Parts: sequence; C-alpha cells; structure tokens
Amino acid sequence: MLPILVPLGTAAVLMLAPKRPAPQRWISLAGSFLLLASALLVFVRVNDAGVQVLQIGGWPAPFGITIVADLLAAMLVVAVGIVGLAVAGVSFAGVDPRREAFGYHPLIQILMMGVAGAFLTGDLFNLYVWFEVMLVASFVLMALHRTRAQVEAAYKYVTINLIASSIFLTALGLLYGATGTLNMADLARVWPTISSPGVDTVLAVLFLIAFSIKAGLFPLFFWLPASYHTPPAAVGAAFAGLLTKVGVYALIRVFTLLFHGAPPALFMLLLGMSTATMVIGLVAALNERDFRRVLSFNLIGHIGYTTASLSLMTPAALAGAIFYVLHHIVVITNLFLVSGVLLRLRRTTDISGLGGIYRDQPVFAMLAMVPIFSLAGVPPLSGFLGKLAILEGAFAARAYWVGGLVLVVGLLTLLSMGRTWADSFWGPAAEPAYFAAPGMPLLAAIALLSVLTLAMTIGAQPLFELTSRTAEQLLHREDYVRAVLGATR
Amino acid sequence: MEVLLALASGILYAAGVYLMLRRRLAQLIIGLGLLSNGTNLLIFTAGGLTRANPPVVPEGAVVLVQPYADPVPQALVLTAIVIGFGLLAFSLVLAHRVHATVGTDDVDEIGREP
Amino acid sequence: MIGFFILSPFAMALFAAWFASRFPRRIGMLAAWPALLAVVLSNEWRQVASVGRRAIELPWAPSLGLSLSFNLDGLGLFALLITGIGALIVLYASRYLDGHAQAGRFYASLFAFMGAMLGVVLSDNILTLFVFWELTGFTSFLLIGFEHERPAARAAAIQALIVTGAGGLALLAAGVLLVDATATASLSAMTAQKAAIVASPFYPAIASLILVAAFTKSAQVPFHFWLPNAMEAPTPVSAYLHSATMVKAGVYLIARMTPVVGSTVLWTTAVTVAGAATMVVGAYRAVQETDLKRVLAYSTVSALGVMTMLLGVGTPQAIGAALVYLIAHAAYKGALFLIAGAIDHVAGTRDISVLAGLRQRMPFIALAGGAAALSMAGVPLTLGFVGKDAAYEALLQIGNGFPWLLVLLVLASVFLGMTGLLTGVLPFLGNAASVRHGREPGWPLWIPPLVLATSGVVVGVAPSILNGLVSMAATAIAGASVDVSLSLWHGFSPVLFLSVLTLAAVTVAFGLHAVIRTRSWKPRLGTEAIYDGSISALNAVSRTIAPALHSASLRTYVMVIVTTAAAIGGGALVMERGLALVMPRTSVAVHEVLVVFVIIAAAIAATVARTTMSAVLALGAVGYGVAMIFLSYGAPDLAMTQFSVETLTVVIYVLVFRHFRGLGALSSRSVRARDALIAIGTGTFIGGLLLLVAMTETAPRLREYFAEFGPTLGHGRNIVNVILVDFRGFDTLGEITVLATAAIGVRGLLRFGVTSRHDPQSDRVATSPIFRTAARLLMPLLLLFSVFLLFRGHNQPGGGFVGGLTAAAAFALYAIAFGVRRARRALLVPPLTLLGVGLLIALVSGLPAVVRGKPFLTALWSSGPMTLGTPALFDTGVFLVVAGVVLMMVFSLAEEA
Repeated sequence: MLPILVPLGTAAVLMLAPKRPAPQRWISLAGSFLLLASALLVFVRVNDAGVQVLQIGGWPAPFGITIVADLLAAMLVVAVGIVGLAVAGVSFAGVDPRREAFGYHPLIQILMMGVAGAFLTGDLFNLYVWFEVMLVASFVLMALHRTRAQVEAAYKYVTINLIASSIFLTALGLLYGATGTLNMADLARVWPTISSPGVDTVLAVLFLIAFSIKAGLFPLFFWLPASYHTPPAAVGAAFAGLLTKVGVYALIRVFTLLFHGAPPALFMLLLGMSTATMVIGLVAALNERDFRRVLSFNLIGHIGYTTASLSLMTPAALAGAIFYVLHHIVVITNLFLVSGVLLRLRRTTDISGLGGIYRDQPVFAMLAMVPIFSLAGVPPLSGFLGKLAILEGAFAARAYWVGGLVLVVGLLTLLSMGRTWADSFWGPAAEPAYFAAPGMPLLAAIALLSVLTLAMTIGAQPLFELTSRTAEQLLHREDYVRAVLGATR
Repeated sequence: MEVLLALASGILYAAGVYLMLRRRLAQLIIGLGLLSNGTNLLIFTAGGLTRANPPVVPEGAVVLVQPYADPVPQALVLTAIVIGFGLLAFSLVLAHRVHATVGTDDVDEIGREP
Repeated sequence: MIGFFILSPFAMALFAAWFASRFPRRIGMLAAWPALLAVVLSNEWRQVASVGRRAIELPWAPSLGLSLSFNLDGLGLFALLITGIGALIVLYASRYLDGHAQAGRFYASLFAFMGAMLGVVLSDNILTLFVFWELTGFTSFLLIGFEHERPAARAAAIQALIVTGAGGLALLAAGVLLVDATATASLSAMTAQKAAIVASPFYPAIASLILVAAFTKSAQVPFHFWLPNAMEAPTPVSAYLHSATMVKAGVYLIARMTPVVGSTVLWTTAVTVAGAATMVVGAYRAVQETDLKRVLAYSTVSALGVMTMLLGVGTPQAIGAALVYLIAHAAYKGALFLIAGAIDHVAGTRDISVLAGLRQRMPFIALAGGAAALSMAGVPLTLGFVGKDAAYEALLQIGNGFPWLLVLLVLASVFLGMTGLLTGVLPFLGNAASVRHGREPGWPLWIPPLVLATSGVVVGVAPSILNGLVSMAATAIAGASVDVSLSLWHGFSPVLFLSVLTLAAVTVAFGLHAVIRTRSWKPRLGTEAIYDGSISALNAVSRTIAPALHSASLRTYVMVIVTTAAAIGGGALVMERGLALVMPRTSVAVHEVLVVFVIIAAAIAATVARTTMSAVLALGAVGYGVAMIFLSYGAPDLAMTQFSVETLTVVIYVLVFRHFRGLGALSSRSVRARDALIAIGTGTFIGGLLLLVAMTETAPRLREYFAEFGPTLGHGRNIVNVILVDFRGFDTLGEITVLATAAIGVRGLLRFGVTSRHDPQSDRVATSPIFRTAARLLMPLLLLFSVFLLFRGHNQPGGGFVGGLTAAAAFALYAIAFGVRRARRALLVPPLTLLGVGLLIALVSGLPAVVRGKPFLTALWSSGPMTLGTPALFDTGVFLVVAGVVLMMVFSLAEEA
C-alpha cells in the first residue's frame, strides 16, 4: 500500500512547499528513499509469505478495489523505487529552473505513484486510472519544453497515448458489459464464461493493442522514437525505464491471468508483433546519428525480446522474459543517464558532436561501458544472462526460430553499441570541443546502476531462481485468485 | 434502442477518427473530443440500458426501487468524463502552444525533420 | 585453489590498471604473474599426467546451466602457451608502450584477455566456454581499437567484434542445443553421449554452428578477412592475440569438440576443406603484401588453415602433427611479430620493400629473426621442421587416391617458408643506407623474441621433450589413447624428399620474392566484400526506414494504429462468429430517437465544419445530447456532470481556438475518401461490438451488492456517489490526481514559454454595472449552493464533482465581472494551494482507518444524530481539487494573451 501513497504524499507536500530548488530536491529525495524502502518491505513480505492482498476501503473483492502484490508486482515496484531514487538524486546536478518552478518534482513523484499503482492494482479499471495518472504526469513533464523539437515531440507523444487510452477504455466498458466485473481475479474466473462467441477474443485483441502501444511494439510504437530523445536526461531515463515496462507488465498480467484460453492465433499475433519489433527496432537503430535516438530504438527492440518470450507462455520462457525486464530497466535507465552526462560534456547528443570521451573522462567511460555492453549482451553482464534465459526458454519451447532471431538481433545490438561506443567515446572530439565536468550526482547514479548490473551477474543464480518462482506463480493463477477472492477483510 | 445508441456511438467513433486523420490541428482536437464522448456513451450502453429509476434510494425507503439503473457503469463513466476532461483540456492547450511555436496548424508540418 | 589461479588474471587486470598509474616505469614487473601462473599450471599438469584429468567446479548459475567448471586435461597445453607467452608479451609491451597515457587500460584489457583465454581452454562447461569466448572477442575489440583516435583502428575493431561475435553467438546456439540434447552442460560428460548426439536430428545444426564459431575465430575462409585488418592493433596485441592465442581458440574448439561431435562425414569434410582452402589462400596472399604485419597476418591465417586441415583429417598422426605444428607456430610467429614491432620502433616503417641492413643496429633481434625464419621454413634442427615433417607424414598415410592435400600443403609450405625469410631475414640483409636510424631497442624488446625463437631451435634439436605433452593432448582429442613420439630422423623416406624439395623451392622463391610480389595475380574481390556489402545494405535499409518511424506526420501513425486495431479486432470478430445479426432488446422512445438523431447530426456537422466555432458548437451539441441520453436512462448525477463538463469544455475550446484559423480542407479528395473509409470501418466495428455486448445481460452481482450495502454500510442513498467516494474511492483518488496534474500542465504550458506576462489589468471586464451587481450577489449564492451540493451528494444527486464545478463557476463569474486579478484576490489562496490541500485531505481521509487497523480508505462513521464519516471528508477533498483545477485552468487561459 505504501508505495502508492508515499509518492502521492511527497507530491502533495512538494506542491505546498516553497518553490526554491533546494527544499524541493531534498523533499523529493527523501520521498524517493521512503518509496524504495516501502517497496523493499513489500517485496520481503511477498517473498516470504506469498501473494499479499489489501482490500481498499474494507470492501471485499470483487466489489471493492484490491491491491495485489505478487512477486512480479513486488519486484517491479522495487525497480520503481530504484529508478525514482536515481532520478531524484540526479536532480541535484541541476534541473532547468523553469521546469523546477513549474512542478518538476511533484510531477516526478506523481509519475512514480502512477507506475506503482499500475503494478499493484488488482482491478482493471483502476489500472486504467493509474495509467492515466502516469500518462498525464509524463505528458506534462514532456510538454514543459524549451525547444521547438520538444514541443513537437510532446504533441506526438500525447496524441498517440490518448488513442491508446481510448482503446483501453473502450475495451473496459465492453468488458464490464460482458462480464459484470472489473476485478482481475474475478475476471480470471469469469472470462471463460463470456456468453457471446468471439467477444472474448476481440476484447483480448483490444487490450493487446492498447497495451502494445504503451509497451512500444510494432506497428504501434512510433511515438517512442519520435519523442524519447527530447526531454531532459533524467526524465528520459524515468520514461525509458518505467513507462514501457508498465505496458509489458499489463501484457504479462492479462495474458497469464485472463487470456490463457484464447485461441493460439492471439499468441501468434503477439509473437509476430514482438519479433517484428525486435528486428525493425535494431535495424533502425544502426544508422541513427543521435545517441538518444539510438537508445530509443534499442529500447524498442529489446522490449520485443520480453514480449516474444511472453507469448511462448512456458515457465522457462516467462522466467526469461521477467529476468530480461529487470535487466532492461536498470540498463536503459542507466544509459539515458549516460546520455545526460554526454549532454553536459559536449552540449549535444548528436554523435558527430561527441567523441574524445574515453580519453578525457576515463572514469565515466569505464562506468558507461557497463550498461552499453550489457545491453549488447557481452557476457558475463546481465544482458547476456537475460538473453541466455530467453534463449533457453525459447529452445525448450521448441521455438527455434525465435531463439535464432534473439541471437541475430543480439548481433545487431552488438553492432549498434559497438559503433556507438567507437564513434561517441573513442573517436576524436569534434572541433571546437566543449569541455565540462560530468557532475557528481549523475556519476553517482550511473555508478549505482552499473553496480546493480554487475550485481546481477554475480547474483545470477538467486535472481534467476526468483524469476522462475515468479513465472511459476504467474502461471498458477489459482493462488492469485484465491488470495484475492478468499480474503474477506 | 440499443441499436440506435450503438449506431450513435459508432458514428461518434467514426467521426472522431476521421477528424483525427485530418490535417488541421484544431480538427484533431475536436476529433479527440468526439472520440471521448463516443467512448463514454459506449461504456454506458454496454453496461446495460434500463429506462428505469436512477440508483437513488428514495426518502424513507431502505432499498432501491426496482427496476433501477446499474450504478456501476455510471460511476465508471463519471470517472472517465472527468479524466477525459482533464486530458482534453491539456491537449487543447498543448495544441495551442504547438501552434504558437511552430507557427502553422498543418499537422504534416509538425515534427517534420529535415 | 587452482581455480583461484585460473581466474586470477581478471583480478590482475584491475591491479594492473592501478599499478600502471602509480608505477609507470616498472610495468614490466607485472610479467611476473603470468610467468608464475605458467609454472603453477605446468606443475598441475605433471600431476594430472598420471591421472588423466582433473576437474574443478565453482557454481555460478546452475539454473541457467552456467558453472565455472574447469577441466585440466591434455588440451591444457594451450594454457601453458597462454601464460608463458603472455609473460613475454607483458615484458615486451612495457617498453613498447613506454609512457603511453592509457597504458593502464591497455594492461587491464590484456590481463582480462588472458583470463578469458584461459577460461576458454580450461572450461568444462560449454556455456561458460561461450562466456569466456565472447570475452576474448570483447577484449580483443578493446585492444584492436587501442589507438582509438584513428578511424582505421576503430573500423577494424568493430569488424573483428562483429565477425567473431557472430561466431560466438553461433556457439551459444550450439551450446544450448547440446544442453537440451544431453541434459548436461559439461563437456566431459557429453563425450560419453557422443553417439546420441550424432544421431540426434539437431546434429547438423550443432556441428555447423560450432564450425562457424571456430572458423570465424580462427580466421578460416570465408571469414578470414578480419585478421589482416586487426593488425591495426599495437604489435604486442598482434603477437599475443592474433597469432599465438586468440586465433588458436578456433582450432582449440575444433579439437575440444572432436570427441563430442566430431569424426562424422559432415565434420571431417567441412573442416578439412575449410582448412585446406584457408591454407592456400592465406599463403598466397601473404607474399603479396608489403607491410610486415600484414604478411605475418596472412601467413598466420594460412598456418591456422594447416592446423585445421590436419584436425579435419583426424587420424592420430594428423592430430599429433597439428599439435606440434601449433606449438612451433606459436614460437616462431610470436617471435616474428615481436621483431616486426621492434623494427617498427627502430626504423619507423614496416615496409619490406624498403627495409634493409638492420642487423647492425639490432644484432640480437637479427639473430632471433634468423632462428624464427629457419623454423618457419622448416629447416632441420628446428621445431618447425619437426612439425612440417609430421604433417607430411600424416598426409602421406591417408592413402586414398591422389594426395591433393599433400600437394597443397607442400605448395603452401613453400610460400610460408618464403614469408618467414621475408620477415625474419630480409630486413636484416643488405645495406642500411636507405633506412632511417632509430634508437637502439632496449632489452625488453629483444629478449622476448629471442627466447621464443631459440626455444624453437632448442626443442627442435630434441623434440622428444614434447612427447608426453603432445600425447596427452592428442589423447584428449582423439578420445582414444595416442602415443606420439617425435624425433629428428626418420630415415630416407618420401617425407625427407618432400622436405628437401620444399626447402629448395623456398630458397628459389625467396630469391624471386620481389617478382612474385609484383607479378602475381591479385584478386579484386574477396569475402570481405560480402561483409562490407552486408553492412552497407543494412545501413541503407536503416537509413530508409528509420525516418519513417519517427519523422513522418502524426496522421500516418494515427492511421496505422487505428487501422491495425480495427482490422485485427474486426477480423477476429468476424472470424469467430461470422456476420450474425442480433435483435434489439429495449423499446424505443420517440424523444430518445430525436436525441440520437441530434447527436449523429452534430457529429457529422463537426466533421464537415468549416470554422472552428461551428465545430466547437457541434461538439457541444453532441455532449449535450449524450447528457440527455444519460438523463433518460436513469443517470441524473451523470447527466449533471456531463452538462457542466461539456459547458466547461466548450468554454475552454473557445478560449483556445480564438487563435486558430478556419478549418478548410487541406488534403486531397482521394485522401479524404480513404480516411473516411477507415473511419467508417472503425465505427462499424465498434458499433457492432457494442451491440453484441449490450445485448447480453450483464451479470448483476456488483450492482446488487452496491444496492444492498450502499444505504446500509455506506450510509448513503445515492448509490453512484457511494461507489465513487467509498466503494471505489481509490479510483477517484487517482482521478483527482490526474485532474490536478493536468491543471499543473495547463498552467505550465501557458506560462512557460512566455517571456512577458500578459497585463491582467487589461483583460476583459464586463462594464455594465447591472452585471457587476448581479455578479456580486450571485457569487456567494453559487458558493453556498456548491457546498450544499457537496453535502447533499451522498444521498441525492450531487456530490464533490458537481459542487466543485459550481464553486469554480462562481469565481469564474466574478472574474468575468471584475477581472481575473480581483477574482484571484477574492479566492484568497492560489488555485495551486487548493489543489494541494484538496489532495492532502482526500489522502488523509483514508488514514484514520489505518490507525484503527483497517485498510486504507475504509470509511469510518460517527454515530449520533447526523452520521458523519470520512467519505464526506474525501468528497470535500474532491471538491477542493475540482474547484482548484477549473479555476487554475480558467485563470491561466484568461490571463493569456
């Protein structure tokens, strides 16, 4: 429960607090610490005791709204805490003063709240509400712009996401009409009994599309490369790390809980979209001239990994997908923060303006190497481990071509990251070069996240066991249902 | 009656989509508004229409008078209306800023990179 | 314990980086560690020799199949090469890179490579082998690109990374397939299951993938082109990675995997053919180059081909020959590379057509060069001779038909011997006149090559030293015990004849080297062209699609999304149930038909409207029509909210749209027709779906529950309101957050880019005194009414939303009459504060329950004459937020220019 309320409280306090940068940043940081702490508490409880359930308002499910924390949700909320902390910490390196005056900090907290709420809710309409919270916060963060490019990007981002929301809402309305309930556990029981033939499949398709837009799958992902490269680095990091993952989470949840009886064509559809995403994302990334655009396309491509693995619906594949999601959150947040440093160092993220960084900033370059090559899948970093998990899952499920594609796209990622590294870090600095310091808070955040990536390598076994258990828990939906509907508080 | 409302809702969706595909910024926002109304109507209709008493227990009584309208879709639609309003207002103002910054209301020109 | 030693180079990498920055002059001392390792490992081998093999296990991630398990068996001779030569290289590099600013990073990468390479040759777990394999590729990337400011170095580094990386991924795929097929990841365990593996349907895939990995790493045709380009690396790197160790990894892999997947027709053919082809191509190209390092690179390619071919042949003699050849090659090639580096240091060039007479400057190095060249040419009393002899012998004994392989080997050996002379002897002959004189190379630059070269001679004199080592290794490869006995003299035999022939040819060729170089046919296109072509093609595709993915007009994206949704959804619907029709359920009332008609007409009007105002009015009409529908179907709360929200929306639209022009059509007819088609399709799909769903009876569970418990437990008679603030209050909490955030956004957007604030004094003020008086009277009334609505809402239509809207309307009215500034003052607090307070109140209203031990937002009621409860507090919070939001928006919009 706390992970949702803490950021809200922080946001409210921030709105009432004096508008000067210092108090805002400190309150935000404190709030983020609390968020992380509460998330960890929840996780420990879930790990020990199983699915945790809270009926808001004291009304029993399915009549009230339920908060459900299973392993997946708990892990993801911890990730929210980590990203939130990184973003709050990075703000000490300097935030555009006008942004700060207009509510940058409360907005970040509201964003965290929305994401946490989305992960923890057990009610589908409530999920919509949290989606909107998250979305509107991201809208505003993106729309407080300085440059023309930023406002144009914001506009594309907003419009497409509003369409996604409409599709989601449409599906929700129809769902209530068809089933009479909105509680996810209840729906798991009721879904197979939808009387009108075909309606359940169509609803599944609509949900799939709505969530795929948010997750960034082909052919619905255009908003991402059109917009993610424009906002300030910390904002971009939060978006990249969390927002798309909410879409992936929603897909995992509805597919494991609700759609398990759907016709195989649905899973084929997801698989097809995912593989297309993987390939197109990476091919497009190859020639981008802006560091953040490269990241955006890589982001999309790798989301494809997780959803492709999801579509196979076996325990091993699902475990691989979840592992990869965790790895991806850490790495991509880190990379966007790296882009923030690059921005500071060279005043641009256009690759032609970068260079000479390996020579001038060895510490930073070494730190940046971790996420860059982890994404590329160089062992023994987390990217390799994630790919291995997915590969093993795919082969075990006899989906050999999926596994092959995973490897091919991995090679493309290697090419993309290798090239980016060579051009941005190795190559000579462009003339005239602009030199500055990276800023301690940024370096600290990057270091923290890189250490986390390395920790994933060392702790691969416990982490994989955790994701396997999560996958098992997801596929044994009776536990979830029983926890929610059986509780009578 | 469901047929008529389904028709209305469908037409609202169609009109909304059509406007969103047009080249003028203002049309896009109007389209969003139409879409929003269509969705609200859809939720309301899908939940089951009862030309009936509102779900308000009369003075002195303890239970609702049958037949009563389903309060759940009403609550959902209300939430959707409010959220929709917030978002619509925001996108309106955003469109306004885009228009002011970019200087044109031709959607094709916005975000076109050299 | 031994495991610690095996992994120690990684720790050394970090230590080296630190050490190099602290003691830049003493870096050479780091060579002590690999030397120590070599001693430790050879000690291990002495012990292992009696047992056969020893295994070490360190778990890492068993669920994924990964474990750090090491196998010390015969093939570990590679490890000795890695550590021994590594020590020499570190020593050499300390002088070669003297004073380089990034030396620390160089040594870190070098030691990391060493560790990874050790991991490759010692690993028993195939997945971990892949980990180390890729790590060698990655460290090689870092090392090739060491002089990173040069574009050629970067390009070569990437090329090597990709080519070997592709091979690495092939290895990974093969590894996972093998694990699937054998239920174990341990290579030693897999050898026991060889028959099953070969019989499995995946065998061709597994074998091919492994061979791809081996061929890419060891630069076999057609993957050989990256190796000459890798010569961009500093010479110590070229000597270590690209001749002595990393490129041998492919050969090692073939050797290691022979007892697991080898010895089938597929395997032998592929390996032999590839090896032979490489052998010839490499040798031929070697003599055409002028850069010392490139000559050596191609000759290395060729030598790798020889080893591969011999392993492909697979007879015990061939295997033994391959191993001896390998050892000899490591010695002389390593030496020659180091010599090339020293020459570069001294003479400033590596062009063999120019170099001459260096023996005076560098006598020791000249000696080393001579020894190495002799070994490479296969002069008796060198290890190279023994190796070549063994190879000839092995091929002679295959005995099926015309000895093609032998002929090719002889041919290649001639060229190889020639290149040995070219690189090890030629630069030192003749007069020194034409070459620039550099400084005398220090001892770290000539001791290592001398050591390597003379070892080739020393062992060559008494080759039986190697018997035990080679036998162990061959046994491990062949799977059956192999005894190798090496000696110098085999008697007068065809092999002797061939050796003499070879030597004679080498001498002749060397004499004619210039002619051969210039007059031989140089092919214009090689496989590198395929690689370059693929990359260019990829780039081209990327350049084409990427802009389309983010820079096209928004409309395109909207269209794609909508069409996808409608098409797939509609398709699914039709596929599942065909086009069956449904019958309507409720009756039709005239006035409702009228309202629907109005809605539809307004919607169509909005699409064809020519001015913004008319479009907005049409939109408003739609909204009001929908409100009427709500009213007809028993939803008064909803209708009220819809009316007010729609009005507000229209107001805001008007305020914004005064800046927009008319709405004349910009697209062509055909485009509009297409869009209309899409729109109609979408609408039909949605409408049809809605009809289907609306026809079915919605399960009554929820509404019955709410109907029952609303008045009792919820203490409210307006069930909808009870749902909003109690049953599903959590939704409402999120919803007001959305509102608040949107308002902040609106305010920010309007004020953000504006440099000068619009002067509020001059905003429109209604001047009519009647209006003003009316406003003064109405405002408090409206406020009271709004509060009334708030508190009545729980039992009758009303509630926080409508109340808040009304309150906002009151202040808006005041603003119209008296100006925004005065309205703001009348409000007493900024709207933002209303927002914050409202949110806090709503949040706090849920907390007393927690104090009492119940879940958040559980309603608590006081008993007594008037039942007051936390939901009322919550609704008040909603009220404040709504009021604040609307006022924030209205004020900002009105203040804006």
